[in-house]
Amino acid sequence: MPGIIEPPPEPGAPLPPLWKRLAWFAGIAAASTTVVAVVAYAMKAVLPSH
Amino acid sequence: MDVDALLLSRLQFAFTIAFHIIFPSFTIGLASYLAVLEGLWLGTRNEVFKTLYLFWLKIFAISFGMGVVTGVVLSYELGANWSVFSRVSAPVIGPLFAFEVLTAFFLEASFLGIMLFGWKKVGPGLHFTATVLVAVGTLISAFWIISANSWMQHPAGFSILPNGDLIATDWFKVVFSPSFPARFAHMTLAAYLTTALVIGAASAWRLLKAGDEAESRMSLRMAIGMFAIVAPLQLLVGDISGKSVEQLQPAKLAAIEAFWDTRTEQPFHIAAWPDRELAGNRWEISIPKLGSLITGGSADAEIRGLKSFEPRDRPPVAVVFWAFRVMVGLGIAMIILGLWGAWLCWKSAPERSRPYLMAAVAMGPAGFVAVIAGWVVAEVGRQPWVIYGVLRTEDAASPLLAGQVSLSLLGFLIVYAIIFSVGVLYILRLIAEGPVAGSHELVDEDRAPGTPLAAMPEDPG
Repeated sequence: MPGIIEPPPEPGAPLPPLWKRLAWFAGIAAASTTVVAVVAYAMKAVLPSH
Repeated sequence: MDVDALLLSRLQFAFTIAFHIIFPSFTIGLASYLAVLEGLWLGTRNEVFKTLYLFWLKIFAISFGMGVVTGVVLSYELGANWSVFSRVSAPVIGPLFAFEVLTAFFLEASFLGIMLFGWKKVGPGLHFTATVLVAVGTLISAFWIISANSWMQHPAGFSILPNGDLIATDWFKVVFSPSFPARFAHMTLAAYLTTALVIGAASAWRLLKAGDEAESRMSLRMAIGMFAIVAPLQLLVGDISGKSVEQLQPAKLAAIEAFWDTRTEQPFHIAAWPDRELAGNRWEISIPKLGSLITGGSADAEIRGLKSFEPRDRPPVAVVFWAFRVMVGLGIAMIILGLWGAWLCWKSAPERSRPYLMAAVAMGPAGFVAVIAGWVVAEVGRQPWVIYGVLRTEDAASPLLAGQVSLSLLGFLIVYAIIFSVGVLYILRLIAEGPVAGSHELVDEDRAPGTPLAAMPEDPG
């Protein structure tokens, strides 16, 4: 688990431009939502339908 | 419907929900704690807060995952074991669960990804936003689940169709049923206390084993602050919640207090052996008149006893009576721990008091036990109804055979024992190592998640 958690930037390290940070923010959120949706639909698919 | 299958279905649901509730009651508080830690780090740049954040984030991620897995099982069970309940109540209660997924679970799951993988990519401000959103998501989740459960306790805002199905007529009344505000506050505070007790125990354990450690000192003092403020507050909120039980579910209140006869000057039973066959207590240790005073506000208040209800409408008494006493007893122990800790903070330093540290370690699981005991009071006390006054539990189950339910129950027992053991042992191992141990093992830039190097061993040779 420690290996996959990203630590904060070093003090004084330059931050990426705002548009890039916002894009990462939206991108990671969208990717996480997609993973949840895929798992949810996969679980729904194994349910018998009547 | 086979009676044994009903009993097994009830046992299975009780087992799986008691198992599940451990995780959300921990992660609700932990998400807020993480938001506070990150906010303090942003405000002060004190590295202690950052180290604590990264440490508890790992434990949060594992607990969140275990909470999701055990929660999904409950949704399946509602359909598989409680199909009549699902069919009858789905038009009312289904949207509440759907809103929980749409407004809370997706919020938590989406922004947890940023919490774990995105600190350098999104920067400190947006990362803090993600942490706050996850914390808010856990509270929204609690809101909808408690709303659904409160509606089952005190259904309102619905009509019964000719075929027996329910339909919502007033969504505001459905979502905000009479007992909801007090129960939501009670559950949220219980979650905060549960988390504080675990953090306090982990910090105390480190201080006992590893000596002086700035991170453990800080987290112990933060936990003491929570015990000292939230535990007494919880007593007041619990009393308000109890008062609503007196008005809305008098049979549950009578079971909680083991009152059999309707009378004024009810005694308060400190301990008793309630017996449904006897319709009385085999023995009791009581304080005269205090029962009426606590439950009715006056020693002259007349409080209904269980004998005023038909035998088939009475909940199991001994389980409810003792579960309530376990919950309240642990709550009082939490208040003592908080006041003792606050006194130590004021006089000297709690981290130097070995008896206090040992007491804090011993109280680590108390929040979980109290939460489960509280749910036993709420759910068993509602019996014989699954939707109070509307649908009996015996009429809500699926037409299954005892053998079928036995197999699934056995499967749950085995799988959960493995999941629980592995998950909890891993969390305990992390706690034993302490917050500082893991803080130097974090990923470097070139081995960021998703890159080919991340999948490579550190030393391929």
